[in-house]
Amino acid sequence: MGCSASLPAKSVGGVGSLDGESSNPADSNNLRVKLVLLGDSGVGKSCIVLRFVRGQFDPTSKVTVGASFLSQTLALQDSSTIKFEIWDTAGQERYAALAPLYYRGAGAAIVVYDITSPESFIKAQYWVKELQKHGNPDIVMALVGNKADLNENRSVQSQDARDYADKNGMFFIETSAKTADNINQLFEEVAKRLPRPAPLP
Amino acid sequence: MDSNPDNPVQDQDPASESDEPSPADPNQNRTDTTEPDDPPPADSDINPTQTSESVEHNTVEPESSVPERLKSLTLQEPSSEDIRQKHVSNGSLPADFYASDEIEIVEEEEEEGGLASSSGGGGVVTWTNRSDGPPSPSSSGYAAEGGSSVASSGGVEEETEGNSDWGREKKHFHEDDGSDSWRKRKKHFFILSNSGKPIYSRYGDEHKLAGFSATLQAIISFVQNSGDSIKFVRAGKHLIIFLVKGPIYLVCISCTDEPIEALRGQLELLYGQMLLILTKSVNRCFEKNPKFDMAPLLGGTDAVFSSLIHSFSWNPATFLHAYTCLPLSYPTRQAASAILQDVAESGILFAILMCKHKVVSLVGAQKASLHPDDIFLLANFILSSESFRTSESFSPICLPRYNPMAFLYAYVHFLDLDTYLVLLTTSSDSFYHLKDCRVRVQNVLAKSNVLSEIQRSMLESGLRIEDLPSEPTRPPVERINTESISTQRTVGGSAGLCHFMYKSVYLNQFVSSDFSAPLKNPNQQKRLYRAYQKMYASMHDKGTGTHKTQFRRNQDYVLFCWITQDFELYATFDPLADKAQAIKVCNRVCQWVRDLENEIFLYAESTFSW
Repeated sequence: MGCSASLPAKSVGGVGSLDGESSNPADSNNLRVKLVLLGDSGVGKSCIVLRFVRGQFDPTSKVTVGASFLSQTLALQDSSTIKFEIWDTAGQERYAALAPLYYRGAGAAIVVYDITSPESFIKAQYWVKELQKHGNPDIVMALVGNKADLNENRSVQSQDARDYADKNGMFFIETSAKTADNINQLFEEVAKRLPRPAPLP
Repeated sequence: MDSNPDNPVQDQDPASESDEPSPADPNQNRTDTTEPDDPPPADSDINPTQTSESVEHNTVEPESSVPERLKSLTLQEPSSEDIRQKHVSNGSLPADFYASDEIEIVEEEEEEGGLASSSGGGGVVTWTNRSDGPPSPSSSGYAAEGGSSVASSGGVEEETEGNSDWGREKKHFHEDDGSDSWRKRKKHFFILSNSGKPIYSRYGDEHKLAGFSATLQAIISFVQNSGDSIKFVRAGKHLIIFLVKGPIYLVCISCTDEPIEALRGQLELLYGQMLLILTKSVNRCFEKNPKFDMAPLLGGTDAVFSSLIHSFSWNPATFLHAYTCLPLSYPTRQAASAILQDVAESGILFAILMCKHKVVSLVGAQKASLHPDDIFLLANFILSSESFRTSESFSPICLPRYNPMAFLYAYVHFLDLDTYLVLLTTSSDSFYHLKDCRVRVQNVLAKSNVLSEIQRSMLESGLRIEDLPSEPTRPPVERINTESISTQRTVGGSAGLCHFMYKSVYLNQFVSSDFSAPLKNPNQQKRLYRAYQKMYASMHDKGTGTHKTQFRRNQDYVLFCWITQDFELYATFDPLADKAQAIKVCNRVCQWVRDLENEIFLYAESTFSW
């Protein structure tokens, strides 16, 4: 069952934009959830999504403009399915002010940094704070250290990230979109933590 | 103020400062001129009599031979002494101008392009900023310093941008103003802030160009301090164009022999592209903090700008200020327009279906109309941002000609490899609605075979000059009278016709023929576009008023231009083409275009009204 992160409760909640009908699933076995990826530019948000949705990895990755929308349905072991409606946002600074457009009403957020870039880890913390302030109070948050295949260039220690995640009620995982390492696990973990509507009597 | 004949900063040669009616710049039109470089007078006669000859290849292309360049330099350019003389003799500058600590003009031998230093005469006006003492290697400006012995690699300029532009990478990122390769580039573009902070540079790392940016800023503000504004500087074969847009300065440094007006138009488009990404509200950042560093705001957009700059040499939309349509049968285009119309009625501002750079159909909400420059900039943005092809997306975008202050929201989806739908709205939360609209559009287009028609049209060639009907099917509405000569030539099309572009003034659309055999090589095509661009600038010269016809012959080809209230025609013939015969063919081209107008143009009746 869902163990949603405990967050300050003063957020605005899911008013308005880009919501679709995602937060009101028809039945407990077939959830739809809006998921947003946030993080600095170049950390591999699009690569994570494309690996998850299409099983592809393109080393000549493209700069995202605004936000891309993709969806993927995940079948869980308990025979329920979850349809992720994924907003893959641009990491560029000029889009930061527009991020609420994409994360408002999101049931889950994946905050990504690059394990070889301390700046991107700092940026990730900025996004966590932003979500805590303005995001959906029930949002499930994941902190993801991507590019785990570049371990020899690591400059963000796993333990530091894990501590930070624990403090902020997030779960933490290191992934590699390149090798596909932990990508499915990431989304499965998000799925497990999503609050489920109470089963019908 | 427009050009200031009084200000020597603008030009080393006062004679060429005043608006030059000639498309062929006197300084550049050097060799083999069999006629004086007089500007072609406004030829109001409908029978063109003016022939001006110009040879352009020696400066347009890097591979031009050294002897020609030497000749051109020694023939035309004043010696260093002359330049200084002219500057000094002009009384409008402060007496201490040249001795000033801040700015000094240094004449040096030009070393570019593999010229031997003894070739002499190439006066380059170089600005050196001493007071700032920027740590850049030469601490001097553009094209300074001699001693280059690096073998000229020919095509340093104007590369086609690859698809590899990713994020922070850019072409020639390692270069700065101290690099020989950087200084040899034929065409630079810069965006900087009014405090001299670099924002964008076509080549090299902006941050390394801080000193150079400060120098450009110093030049601009020096002139501004005297209550004037700088438009351009001519330095040897380089032309430096300035465009001031509030707190943002745009500069082009070019030795491509393009006319000033054309380069200024390119800077305007560069500014427009920047606005499309950021809107004009970025100006507010400078109001709050004059030292604001704007460069990070454009992060990841290098591909957009390099694609834009590349299109200056191949896409006539950049100077015709018109868009072009994908040729389609009338019913096919109608079907596309109908479904766009249908979805557009549900709160969409513009619905645009495009295939590469060509419009399939577009529909605007009541009274909203889309400027061709906006269409061009939007298409460039979408086509050069690879991520749009990956999945559907929803992004803030500003149409600078529609409203430079505000973002619209663009839903973009590629229906196939080249065909994409853009739905623009003012509402930030209508993604799901737009997505539904796209699904409807896509279904209808697929069912009615519009998509396959689009693909077929892409594969097929457009207007081939070989297909020009041999005789007008009916008498042309307007025609140039000429005695009829009936010796048919067979090079290219009729009478040696190689290529043409036709712009409908009323529709703001143009159509251009495919390139035929003599113009298959991209370099020739680029040269031809440059020639068209020059022709356009001279025909629309503000100083002399719009010309009606121009017939221009050089050793590569004959260019003919004809402008009426309704259309502009630009045609290229082989260099031996007969004038009377060429004019006759142009009449046929116009008639042919009119006969095909339902297929090659999009009609306003079906677009902007509902």
